[in-house]
Amino acid sequence: MQVVIGQYIPANSWVHRLDPRTKLVGLILLIVSTFLIQELITMLSLLFVVLVLFASSKIPLKRFFRGIAPLLFLLTFTVIFQLLLNRQGELLYQRTAYLGWQQALLTLIVIVVYQLLKRVTRYRFAMFVLSLVVVFYSIQLEFAGSWLTFDIAVYQGGVVFALFLVTRIVILITLSSLLTLTTKPTDLNNGLEEVMKPLRRFKVPTNEIAMMIAIALRFIPTLLDEANKIMKAQSSRGVDFNEGTLRQKVTQIISLLIPMFIISFKRADDLANAMEARGYAPGRIRSKYVTFHMQVPDYVLLAVTIGWIPVVVLLGL
Amino acid sequence: MAITFQKVGYQYPQLQQQKWAISEIDLLIEPTKEFVAVIGHTGSGKSTLIQHMNALLTPTVGQLNVFQHEVAKGKPLSPIRKRVGMVFQFPEYQLFEETVERDIMFGPLNFGVSKDVAAAKAAEVLSVVGMDESFLSRSPFSLSGGQMRRVAIAGILAMEPDILVLDEPTVGLDPAGQEEMMKLFTSLHDDYHKTLVIVTHDMNIVAEYTKRVLVMKAGQLVFDGSPQALFTDDAALELFELGRPDMMNVLASIANAAGTSKAASVITFDQVVAYLLEQS
Ligand SMILES: Nc1ncnc2c1ncn2[C@@H]1O[C@H](COP(=O)(O)OP(=O)(O)OP(=O)(O)O)[C@@H](O)[C@H]1O
Ligand SMILES: [Mg+2]
Repeated sequence: MQVVIGQYIPANSWVHRLDPRTKLVGLILLIVSTFLIQELITMLSLLFVVLVLFASSKIPLKRFFRGIAPLLFLLTFTVIFQLLLNRQGELLYQRTAYLGWQQALLTLIVIVVYQLLKRVTRYRFAMFVLSLVVVFYSIQLEFAGSWLTFDIAVYQGGVVFALFLVTRIVILITLSSLLTLTTKPTDLNNGLEEVMKPLRRFKVPTNEIAMMIAIALRFIPTLLDEANKIMKAQSSRGVDFNEGTLRQKVTQIISLLIPMFIISFKRADDLANAMEARGYAPGRIRSKYVTFHMQVPDYVLLAVTIGWIPVVVLLGL
Repeated sequence: MAITFQKVGYQYPQLQQQKWAISEIDLLIEPTKEFVAVIGHTGSGKSTLIQHMNALLTPTVGQLNVFQHEVAKGKPLSPIRKRVGMVFQFPEYQLFEETVERDIMFGPLNFGVSKDVAAAKAAEVLSVVGMDESFLSRSPFSLSGGQMRRVAIAGILAMEPDILVLDEPTVGLDPAGQEEMMKLFTSLHDDYHKTLVIVTHDMNIVAEYTKRVLVMKAGQLVFDGSPQALFTDDAALELFELGRPDMMNVLASIANAAGTSKAASVITFDQVVAYLLEQS
């Protein structure tokens, strides 16, 4: 079985050519800066810059949306909570809302319909927003005998803060997917090892951490392959991994997990022996086959991202 | 007919470029008393072919029927899996229960057999694979590799399949273990009249034990006939890049040393002994 781990997309862009160490440090600095930025306009500008970076990396734009898609629901809830609960600044919008059995019933129906349709439709998020809108409108209608009446109020602070949060999350996601999309997992790991080097002073076993990550990356496809084989073997014994009651599900998972544990331990044992036979000793300094070289764009990017932090802090942007 | 392939082809969906793992397979397998070897180079599609026989893979094109059930997406598969048992390479890794008995009972229980019947079956099949009842209460993980493999095979036999399909069942066993394993299969075939389909790379096994051989090459079924017919056809052997069983090589060397021109077309140990006695 061929499994692609990480999401590396080969291409020949300047972002791909950057030293992994630069990308890592730049990523960390920019992420730190999103927590220091105070003005919405600065945040939006940063988002713009990040999107331009993404566009210049020759990664198809649909990968950007694929990165954001799983977070759409989270983002929507963040926005709703901010809008409804944040009471700072000017009042922008106010309505009286009612909650009665009519609204409760409608909400229930909407939830059921959504749950039924979400499996068959491709526009799951659109359905979700539509459901929210329906519920939102329904609570503005007054029916006889509503249980409770309350105010919906949206303040300026809520709007600003919601935008702020959403922008920050989008920046974080875009930057980290840019990193993983343009850097091979092994390069990333080697870069990480280099970047972590200063921590050695504090007795952090950076070599071992990097080795562990490298081994994990190496063995994920292998173990998936094994899992596939075990699933087939257990299917032959009458296990149907697609169906079953809760109790059957538990047995199914056990029948997969126990063999997987045993195989993993055996593989780990073999690998440890093979590594020892080739002279690997934890903690000993190893020479490197891959070495990284900084180029002009690396220095420029580092200088810019390092300079960016004091600019943000000192100017209170 | 128990298993009928008609123009069956299969592509692995994971692969980027569309490549046929098997293609244009036409094949009939009887429900009882067959002993079939599947041979061919690594990557030739043997495992892909046999996984169709118990509906673990469904054909991309073509028609496949197993015991009158059509093998296709969305069709019920458990009646097929119950009648065609599949033993994978290194089946010892599929064991997971606390005791040998419970592991053997796992398959039958999944197919709706009652606990008592399954327990009785477990004891029975364990003796079929040549282990005594004292093993029933042991943990499968305290057994040797060969014993674990027997237990795994017992777990499949307990489902009472008519056809048993095995992917390289002798790999990783010592020569004595291999021979015992093959004796077990021979007895399943001779005494229990099961149809066996085994994938192997060992020409000696093909010659000594099996009655029919299928040769796979680059995803195609290129030969279907008796081992005798295959191993005495020099042109075919060359074309399929296959070796000969040891006994044929021994006899050829003897014939060479003795100056006789051509060795007879005998392929098994017993045949060679009989042939040599006859000559002397
Ligand atoms: N899970 C899989 N995903 C993608 N391709 C596969 C998978 N399994 C096998 N293949 C491909 O299908 C082809 C046939 O493989 P198959 O495993 O059937 O060969 P085989 O004859 O059993 O080989 P071997 O003797 O090594 O076991 C090969 O080209 C292989 O690369
Ligand atoms: Mg195979």
